[in-house]
Amino acid sequence: MKHKRQGRPAGLEAPLALVSAAEAFIVHLICAVGLAVSLWVAHNLLFNSLISHPSQTLFLIWVIECPVVILLYSHYRQNRQQSSYLRAVGRGMLTLLAGALVSAFAAIALGAPVGAKYLSSTINWSMMMSLFAVVPAASVFGSSWTDWQRLFACTKPVGTVDYMICLPAHGAIIGSWFGAWPMPLDWERPWQEWPICVSFGAIAGYLIGMVASFGFVLVRGILQHTKSD
Amino acid sequence: MFSLTCSKLTIFTIAGVIIQMIGLSVFVFSFFPVKPALSGFSGLESFRAPSFDLIQNHSAKNLPPDELRSLYRELSGVPPSFDRLILMVIDGLPAELVLGKDGKPPRAELVEAMPYTQSLLASGLAIGFHAKAAPPTVTMPRLKAMVSGAIGGFLDVAFNFNTQALLDDNLLYQFFKVGWKMVMLGDETWLKLFPELFIRSDGVGSFFVKDTVQVDQNVSRHLPDELSRYDWDLLILHYLGLDHVGHIGGRNSILMAPKLKEMDEVVKMIHTSRILNQMNNHGKTLLVVVSDHGMTDNGNHGGSSYEETDSLALFIGLENDVSAYASYSTQNTVYQIDIASTLALLFGVPIPKNNVGVLISEIFKHLADDQKLRALELNSWQLFRLLQAQLPGLSCDEGSEIRKCNGSLTTMFCCLYMNAAFLHNSWMSKDVSRFNHGEEYNTAVGAYSEFLGVASECLSRRVTDKPVNLLAFGVAAMLISCLILLSLFYLICKELRERERISLSNFENSTMHTWHLDEAFTFGVVLMLVISMGSSSMVEEEQYIWHFVTSTLILLFLRKAIQSLKVGRASSLFSLVKGQNRASCFQITSLVLILISGRILRGWHQGGVNWTNLPDISKWLEQAGGEYIKAVQLVTGILVMTLSLISLSALDTNKKLVKVIGFCFLTPGLLVLHRVMKHQSSILGPSSYNDTVLIQMIYMVLGFTALGTVVALPWLSSLLASKTCPYYNFDTTTSDPKLQNTSQLVELTNSLFVIGWAYICYWSLLQLVLQQPINSMPILLLLVQVLLSMRYSFYSGPHHKQWVEVAAVYYMGMAGHYALGNSNSLATIDVAGAYIGITSHSTVLSGVLMFIITYASPMVAILSMVMYISVKSSNYLVLTLSVDSGELKRMLGFPCLIPLCLNSILLTAYTIVLILMRNHLFVWSVFSPKYLYACATTVCVYTGVSVVAATVSYAYWVVVSRRTQSPPPSSPPPSSMIKR
Ligand SMILES: [Zn+2]
Ligand SMILES: [Zn+2]
Repeated sequence: MKHKRQGRPAGLEAPLALVSAAEAFIVHLICAVGLAVSLWVAHNLLFNSLISHPSQTLFLIWVIECPVVILLYSHYRQNRQQSSYLRAVGRGMLTLLAGALVSAFAAIALGAPVGAKYLSSTINWSMMMSLFAVVPAASVFGSSWTDWQRLFACTKPVGTVDYMICLPAHGAIIGSWFGAWPMPLDWERPWQEWPICVSFGAIAGYLIGMVASFGFVLVRGILQHTKSD
Repeated sequence: MFSLTCSKLTIFTIAGVIIQMIGLSVFVFSFFPVKPALSGFSGLESFRAPSFDLIQNHSAKNLPPDELRSLYRELSGVPPSFDRLILMVIDGLPAELVLGKDGKPPRAELVEAMPYTQSLLASGLAIGFHAKAAPPTVTMPRLKAMVSGAIGGFLDVAFNFNTQALLDDNLLYQFFKVGWKMVMLGDETWLKLFPELFIRSDGVGSFFVKDTVQVDQNVSRHLPDELSRYDWDLLILHYLGLDHVGHIGGRNSILMAPKLKEMDEVVKMIHTSRILNQMNNHGKTLLVVVSDHGMTDNGNHGGSSYEETDSLALFIGLENDVSAYASYSTQNTVYQIDIASTLALLFGVPIPKNNVGVLISEIFKHLADDQKLRALELNSWQLFRLLQAQLPGLSCDEGSEIRKCNGSLTTMFCCLYMNAAFLHNSWMSKDVSRFNHGEEYNTAVGAYSEFLGVASECLSRRVTDKPVNLLAFGVAAMLISCLILLSLFYLICKELRERERISLSNFENSTMHTWHLDEAFTFGVVLMLVISMGSSSMVEEEQYIWHFVTSTLILLFLRKAIQSLKVGRASSLFSLVKGQNRASCFQITSLVLILISGRILRGWHQGGVNWTNLPDISKWLEQAGGEYIKAVQLVTGILVMTLSLISLSALDTNKKLVKVIGFCFLTPGLLVLHRVMKHQSSILGPSSYNDTVLIQMIYMVLGFTALGTVVALPWLSSLLASKTCPYYNFDTTTSDPKLQNTSQLVELTNSLFVIGWAYICYWSLLQLVLQQPINSMPILLLLVQVLLSMRYSFYSGPHHKQWVEVAAVYYMGMAGHYALGNSNSLATIDVAGAYIGITSHSTVLSGVLMFIITYASPMVAILSMVMYISVKSSNYLVLTLSVDSGELKRMLGFPCLIPLCLNSILLTAYTIVLILMRNHLFVWSVFSPKYLYACATTVCVYTGVSVVAATVSYAYWVVVSRRTQSPPPSSPPPSSMIKR
């Protein structure tokens, strides 16, 4: 069945329509570059990688990626009259913690090991997940429940910004879910430890989600262009 | 269009189930052969080459024992090295505890516990071997393997509790034929295997697994007497205590060292009394100390890990020079089946017919060269005969030179065998010194060893042809039944959709056919399970998959519940918990609690095979000490009862009747609590008489109250419903004309609710008695999960697909199965629990108890379907106009079909996997045990589903027939019945 598009109020359509495919591409590119930079920093400057030092590497990823994501996405905040840019940034920072709690809960419910040994990895991993999945939405939509519900519970993105938020977030979540599958196998590889392969899955899913989101935005743009002609 | 009436549904379902049963049993009995290849007993022909078999000599059959013995001695060419044998079996002793591992001696306290044995080993008076046992590592199959040299059929496990006489050729029968007198002291399994062979015996039951002292004293008390007698030739001592120590406390139990010391004393007593004293005129005596299997660190056995298969073979009294022999070397690994042929050759009797073992060459060092070659030749002849029987068309033409061996199996065996025979002959033809160990001698020995090794490996791998037709028939029957069940499921779904389309207003039609994520995932789970079954490591670690997919499914439910939260656009996150969102909020809290309890369950037992050593809650509690476990057990018992009573009081009806039912429940509950308080942690001695009586009383009370509730309640249901009426306020606005039917429905619903409640809670109480104390908390958590999912289903209303909910409960049951410490290895079956409350040995009763313990969790999930049907009755109210038998079909359809469907898909898929994996290295250790579990799960599903179907049909029938007999009392206006 086709989803019924619940039309947004006209007042909101205007600022979002401004986001062009090129802009979406740039946003995604900057996010990906941030990710790459953090991995590079971890690998070359601190001589560790995700496999040997998962906790530190994940920490670096979210610390470096955090300002990039929050600053970028706060540009596209809704309700521009009521909330300033700084408020959106602050909202993003707050949600980082809340989202980390939620993702840690989900991970542990799905079987992530609990214990002092894994504490720091779990914290850093859930910070990263929160950054990928929840923070952009918080920066843009704030605490508007319908938007959250539309994006995360129903997965019905409408505008360009919706796609830019929704697809990478779902990519990261689904990627980490698939990333957990090799963990119980008896291959005795170091990367089967929690949360290494899950993080790989999340990063891969996030990147794929960004590519997909750019693709969707591009196709939509072309379609709209032909339609308006 | 094919319309599905209630009777048609029943008939087709039963037909599907029966076809499945037939297919399954045909498959099992053709895939796991029970009979070995050759019948009959080895006789004089063992001393002739296989090619001379055509000339049969039947005269030897009825020779008297003495003549037969001398004839054997004349023919064999290997003089008997000993005259008498003492076979001492220490049940469950891992060789590692005596011989160490990887060239290192065992731990210091274990060495100190067995001073005499260790000194024998060190001085070279004894040779010890790690005798690798084949799975299943359970006592009876292993005893059979030791005396017959054959690896028994896998299904021997199933008969381990129902031992039968060993009718195939074996060592003891060969001894009997040459006139040996035999005495057996110890495990009565021997008496069941050989009912009439012993002149004296004192059987000890392995019945009281908790007894570690008396079982062994009963053996040892006869020992001084027997050792001073000379009227026996074979003395079997079977000590069970060490196995029981393991079952109670594991390898590192505090009782282990004293038990080893006791065994050492026995070895010392035998050795000092008889074997050192070889100069008597009663012949030479050999003492062989063996164990039937090892044990895991937890003391269980049955599987195929190194710890379980590492059994001991210790030969004491050989006179050869073994001082150069390193006792802790890694070279001393043989197979358990090698013991039979070795002993047969040492004592000069024919090797048993189905033996696949190879003689242990270190034992024959004292023989002359020609005798050693002769021994190898005899063993080769016997194996060649067995090969001939298993590979038809194996006949060799005489070779006159050494060839290089390759090609098909038959030609390779032929070639290897002929090479060895040729080398042997050419060595014989030359007149060389008998103790020379010349080069030719060595090549002949090498050729024999190569043939024996290859033949033994091939035979023990059982690359025999399986009856393809029967296998195909079994699989086809299972596939057909699977298709029948699936098409029934499809038809019900279709019919439901039609009905919904008619009854619901049009504007909702569009949402009816959406393929929701949770439905897709429910299908996906089956697919994932089927795929993961192909990998042996995934089978070993199946608990991860079940937990992972179950919690994912619940997270998807959570997402769905959030979808239906309705909030005005502008309102913020924090103003949600108000108004019409109440149902969704209840659902969300239930789901979160289910997730949390599921995670605790997951953490309770590490489970699996590869990571059992990782920390988990049960290990942590066991380290904390017995009193903590007991406290947890008590708290659990109280909580289970509280929870049960609270959930019963959710039924807001006639208080008096509910009180009576609650009181009925309290009686067994308090008895269980009483038992938990009185019960000592049971390291010391067998369970007391009082305890057994108490437990039997609990069984009785539980059984009778549950049965009474089920039988009587539907008749009393008008009492339950007297104050109330329909169910959902919003549905009854238009239901005035069908008031009578709805009140009937409410009666049915109420009584089903109480019956379902009784099933779940009584089952939990029973589990509190039967399960190990450490498992009491998981039982509570399972109960919590089931009750919460009922609560979730209650609020999900008619819009949620029923079959998804039923499947989710089933998955939860399977995840809980592994959370109770079960795995796909036979070692995790709780054998000790199977004897709780039984006074006399009964295979059937212990089997039933073992089944109840093992399948606690899937069974509670299926039994909860009665309550589920009651909880979902609002659906039927919306969808139907009258209580007819179509009603019953809609009630029972999904709750019964879904478990049957899921199980039949998994069973069929797993059968195919097993056929594909028949040559896999792990087929006997990983895939076959898993298949036995799959069969047992099938039995569990059948039992549970038939109980559910019978209960619901009975209650339905009673309510309907009672109404038709008497005019309905006028019903008061509707009000809500269940408050939560
Ligand atoms: Zn045993
Ligand atoms: Zn045992």
